[in-house]
Amino acid sequence: MRNILTLIRRYYVFFLFLALQVLALIILFTSNNYQRSEFVQQSNEIAGTIYGRRAKLSEYLRLGEINDKLSLENAQLRTLLPENFMATRTRLDSVKDTLNLQRYNYRTAKVINASVNRRKNYLVLDKGWEGGIGVDMGVIANGCLVGHVRSVSQHFSVVMPVLHSDFKASVRLKRSGFFGALVWGESKNPAVAELHDIPKNIPVQAGDTVFTSGFSTFFPANLLVGFVEEIDDSDNDYHLLRVRLAADFRKLDYVQVVSDLLKQEQEQLINQTQQQDDQNNP
Amino acid sequence: MIRTILNHILRIVFLILLQALVVSKIQALGGLILPWIYIFGILMLPFETPRWLILFISFTIGLIMDYFTGPMGLHTCACVALGYFMPLVQKLFSPREGYEVSQRPTIQSMGLTWYVTVAGICTLIHHAWLFIFEVFRFSGFFYTLLHILLSTIGTMILMIIGQYLIYNSKTLQQ
Repeated sequence: MRNILTLIRRYYVFFLFLALQVLALIILFTSNNYQRSEFVQQSNEIAGTIYGRRAKLSEYLRLGEINDKLSLENAQLRTLLPENFMATRTRLDSVKDTLNLQRYNYRTAKVINASVNRRKNYLVLDKGWEGGIGVDMGVIANGCLVGHVRSVSQHFSVVMPVLHSDFKASVRLKRSGFFGALVWGESKNPAVAELHDIPKNIPVQAGDTVFTSGFSTFFPANLLVGFVEEIDDSDNDYHLLRVRLAADFRKLDYVQVVSDLLKQEQEQLINQTQQQDDQNNP
Repeated sequence: MIRTILNHILRIVFLILLQALVVSKIQALGGLILPWIYIFGILMLPFETPRWLILFISFTIGLIMDYFTGPMGLHTCACVALGYFMPLVQKLFSPREGYEVSQRPTIQSMGLTWYVTVAGICTLIHHAWLFIFEVFRFSGFFYTLLHILLSTIGTMILMIIGQYLIYNSKTLQQ
C-alpha cells in the first residue's frame, strides 16, 4: 500500500496528465457528430455574438463586391417583372388560384461563421427558429446549391454545406437528364465536388451543367450546382465526374433558406405507401 | 508577481481571440496549412512553473479554444499533451547547469536555435495530437502527415515573427 502511495506521489504529474487526457477524450467522444451544432446551441450567446461582430466587420470591407452582386441579382429579378412579358393569348382563361399553389418559401439569412478547410465543414447562420428556419431546409446562394440546415437554436442555425464528408444530394445532368449522387469526396478542395453513379454509356462532356433533381424534399429542382470539370473513367461501370461548384464557399455572406411547404404531405404519402406495402407483403 | 500573472492571462486571452477571429481564417494551399498559434500562450509559461499548474492551464486553454472551434474536447486533449511534454522537452535541451531564474523561453533569452528546436518539437506534438484525433482514421495517412508538418511550420513562422515584432531589444536585455 505504502509502495503504491510513493509511486503515485513520485509520478503524480504523469497520473494527472493521464486523468486530464482521459477526461478530454471522454468529452470528445461522447459529443460526436452533432458536437458542432450542439456547441453552437449552448454557446450562442458568447461565441455567436463575437462571430457576429467579426462578420459585420468583414462584410463592411466587402461592400463593393456585395453591391455588385445585388445589382446583378436586381437586374435578373427585374427581367422577371410581369410588365416585361407580352400576353400571347388573346382569350384569357379563368384560372383557379389553387393551380398556383405556392410550394417554396424563401427567407434570407447571413452567414456569420464558416469553415472550408476541415473534412466536416459547417456554416452558422444568424437566424434560428425565431426567424422561421427549421431543420432540413435547403440553403442556396444566388440560385446555387449550398447545403441544408442541420440544427437550429433560437437565433442561430447550423448548415451542413456540400463541403462535408457526410453530405449527399441527388443531382441531374442538364444535357442527358441522368441522375447521380453529389458528394464532396476526398478532394478537400472547397471548389470541387464529385458526382457518382452516372453509368459509362451516358456521354458526358467537360462543361456540362449540373442541376439539383428535386427528388429530395431539401431542395427545389433545377438549382444550379456546378459544371463538370474533369471526367475520370478509371472505374469500370460508372463515370467519376469532378464538378466545379457554382457557389463560392469561401465568399458566402447572404444566403436564402428554402422551406418546402408541401414537404409534410409528400413525406406522409411516402410513409403511407410504404406501410401499405409492408402490410401486403409481410 | 501579480503583474506577471496578469500579463500571462492577458496574452492567453489575446491569443485565443486572435486565433478564433483571424488565424483560423487562413486557408493556404487549400486548407493544408492551418496554424494554431494560441499555443504560444502555453509555450511562454516560465520555466519555474510547476508541472501540475502547466497541465491545468493547458486544459483550460484547450477548453476555451474548443468553445470557439469545436468539436468539444479536441483542443483540450492536444493541449494537455503539450502541457505534459513541454517541460520534458525543455529539460532535454536545458543548459548544463539548468535554466536561470532570469531566463525566459523566448528567442531573445535563449537564442534562435534553442527556440526553433524546443518550440518546434512542442508544436509538432500538439499538432500531431490534434490532427490525428480530428481525423481518427488512416485512409488519408500521408495527407494528415503533410497537414501536420506544414501546419507546424506555419505556426512556427507566425510565432517567431510575432516575437520579433512584439518583444523589442529592451526586453532582450532584461
